[in-house]
Amino acid sequence: MSKKLPEFGTINVPHERAVPFGAVTPAPVHVQELFMTSNWRIVRPVIDNEKCTRCLTCYIACPDSCWSYNEEEDVMEWNAGFCKGCQICIKQCPSDALTAVPELDFPDGVVRLEKPF
Amino acid sequence: MAKIHEITVWTRGVIMDKEGRDIASAFGDAVAMEGKHVQVFDNYEDLPDRVLVTTRKYVRISDEEIEHKYVYTNDHPDVVVVAEPTIVKGINVLKGLKEGGLLIINTNRPIDYMLQFIPNADELGAIATVDADGISGVRTIDFSGSEGGVDAVGVGAGIAAPIVGAMARVTGMAKKENLAKIVKDVAGMERGYNEVKLQKFRKFKSSLGSLQG
Repeated sequence: MSKKLPEFGTINVPHERAVPFGAVTPAPVHVQELFMTSNWRIVRPVIDNEKCTRCLTCYIACPDSCWSYNEEEDVMEWNAGFCKGCQICIKQCPSDALTAVPELDFPDGVVRLEKPF
Repeated sequence: MAKIHEITVWTRGVIMDKEGRDIASAFGDAVAMEGKHVQVFDNYEDLPDRVLVTTRKYVRISDEEIEHKYVYTNDHPDVVVVAEPTIVKGINVLKGLKEGGLLIINTNRPIDYMLQFIPNADELGAIATVDADGISGVRTIDFSGSEGGVDAVGVGAGIAAPIVGAMARVTGMAKKENLAKIVKDVAGMERGYNEVKLQKFRKFKSSLGSLQG
């Protein structure tokens, strides 16, 4: 990452980063450290790698790009820091590989914040 | 200035926003019926219109008139109420808590299990849990956009009723009889009053009046 991203709260998009309405932009390639939304989650999606067919529907469906495909190990990877627990991936999964498990069943995985934002 | 007791209610936006508002307003109303001075604020500093986001409601109680009107947030709460248990994992809900403060969580899990998610639990004076989802199981949602001004569902029809019952029992600030006149689900409120579990710690001071368990 050569250039630092603008901090959360700024609305002045630099001219070279502005795109017209409806433009297709590349998928996110790096993770910002601000606006961690993991504490919005009541349940988390847990993947069953036996049932998963790597169809990448969860990757497309996730509004926050929390699912990514690890080509070396041939598994889907889940980003715990930004998943809001919206369960869209669970509803969209055609092979029922994802299940909603209460977040309190796990000891970690949520970024603990001092304030809501 | 007289001592002000501050209560902060943590809830989640949209899906439990009305429940959090009911907890704050019903408890504030019940305390006001005893002739005390009460301020209740809703949704300040947060984003309540986003689903699942953590939001706060604020209650202030004092024997004398509360003079500061233009600060809406409770910087040093005596009591923190968590209407959805996952919030304790993602937010430091004890921030600014007064020494020996009280935490009330709506959960059916044991108190010792919940304490593992609270690394700064040594600041607590006492912790209480009530299984409001098990007692009531109803999460009323208000999409009218009236922000509580016109509310056909009524106050305290869902999980707010057992939680305010538990708050009345462990803080001793409000009377159960007064709450019964306000909340819609009186049976749920009484079950919350009777079924709340309390665990006191070493720092516990009965600064909240008649704290009982």
